[in-house]
Amino acid sequence: MSAESVEIKGEMAMLSVLQLASPDAAQIHQGLQARRDSLPALFAGSPLVVDCHLLGSDCGKLDMQQLRASISELGFIPVGIRNLADDCVEQAVKAGWAILRGGRPAVASSRIEKPAPKEANPSGKSIEVIDRPVRSGQQVYFPDGDIVVLQHTSAGSEILAGGSVHVYGSLRGRVLAGIQGDTSARIFCQKLEAELVAIAGNYRLLDDIDTDLKGQPAMVWLEGEKLKIAPMF
Amino acid sequence: MSRIVVVTSGKGGVGKTTTSAAFATGLAMRGYKTAVIDFDVGLRNLDLIMGCERRVVYDFVNVINGEASLKQALIRDKRTENLYILPASQTRDKDALTKEGVGQIISDLCADGFDFVVCDSPAGIERGAHMAMYFADDAVVVTNPEVSSVRDSDRILGLLQSKTQKAEQGEIVREHLLITRYSPDRVQAGEMLGMEDILEILAVPLIGVIPESQSVLQASNSGTPVILDKESDAGKAYDDFVRRFLGETVPHRFLEVEKKGFLKRLFG
Repeated sequence: MSAESVEIKGEMAMLSVLQLASPDAAQIHQGLQARRDSLPALFAGSPLVVDCHLLGSDCGKLDMQQLRASISELGFIPVGIRNLADDCVEQAVKAGWAILRGGRPAVASSRIEKPAPKEANPSGKSIEVIDRPVRSGQQVYFPDGDIVVLQHTSAGSEILAGGSVHVYGSLRGRVLAGIQGDTSARIFCQKLEAELVAIAGNYRLLDDIDTDLKGQPAMVWLEGEKLKIAPMF
Repeated sequence: MSRIVVVTSGKGGVGKTTTSAAFATGLAMRGYKTAVIDFDVGLRNLDLIMGCERRVVYDFVNVINGEASLKQALIRDKRTENLYILPASQTRDKDALTKEGVGQIISDLCADGFDFVVCDSPAGIERGAHMAMYFADDAVVVTNPEVSSVRDSDRILGLLQSKTQKAEQGEIVREHLLITRYSPDRVQAGEMLGMEDILEILAVPLIGVIPESQSVLQASNSGTPVILDKESDAGKAYDDFVRRFLGETVPHRFLEVEKKGFLKRLFG
């Protein structure tokens, strides 16, 4: 017998959550369609959790079958539903929904440098060049490619890139490259003094252990699951 | 054409109000018609430093609410010609500041022929600080040689380039770094951040270094802007700062440890 052929693990996964503000099927369809059309590349085939906590007792008016059909039709994959009123659970299960435990809604952090783009990469550019210092508290977010910073980044700043990150000054803040899972993304900087570096979700804090790398020109890349940091010259 | 200058820092207690008072006085002494506005609604201090606390009848919030005219609220300085103070309200809070109200007052001051409007920002990054910086053309960022002050200044510099009218119009607020409470002795002893370290972190043009000095506290307590104390190092350094702001090239002073003679070493 091969009990090892399968394994069930409890894991955290990133899922998009659809917040319902109205039980009306037509409104939901319309709203979701508008969202999808604004960022088609990002949402194509992405799993979706439906959250009903705004509906409260209006949950009863929700057509569970129709909701599922709507979501599939728009190219999402309906995964489950949560924060349902207790009397609606049975109906949801019948319609094939998985009931999820209520989660905390994510708190959107303020993006100072760039407001979230309305369209998916309207300019079609693949590199974002920042010619001013990235100050403490600022965030540069560019999911479509590489970020090049011509000056320094400060402690308490955050850089989030879909691709690689290049910093031609001191790197003192947090840097997250390959935020959409690109494991080939790398981080380059002239002077490594970062608080945290991450590639495709694998992160490392730069603590006193790494003193020999501090202040050096360095590159960070991913080998398997392990984050490697090495001086560049 | 008037210039709106915000004096800001993020952190409290670094010398924003002292600087605003000295700066506005220095500009007025050189013949520029200058108004200095206290944005610290609820924690009014500028009037004390300027020594006009007994002459406050109407304040900034009264003008915003249309309860008094700007002329009624502006206090003419007794020592320095061309200098006017708009005090903050002590009984209200920062929510009384509206973008429209502040904008109206600043444009009225411009129309009145003021050459400079100095906005004394409160500490923090909330409404008061935001309103103080929103209309600025120039920003004087006041920093102490201390890591927390430097980081807060860095945060403020970020906000200056994103949350001001200039930034919204795609222009840039001119930034000037003023280091206050600088003590070369303590820098040499490694107890304080050096000027180079601060510049390395903030990367903003340095406009002045004000040495730590007893005379600043004395001046504050007596309600005299320290720039009027021509004998003190701090007064001289503030004067240099104003001259640099107006475009003169003035070498930096008070950066080196003072060489003490034999007697001075003996008697301190």
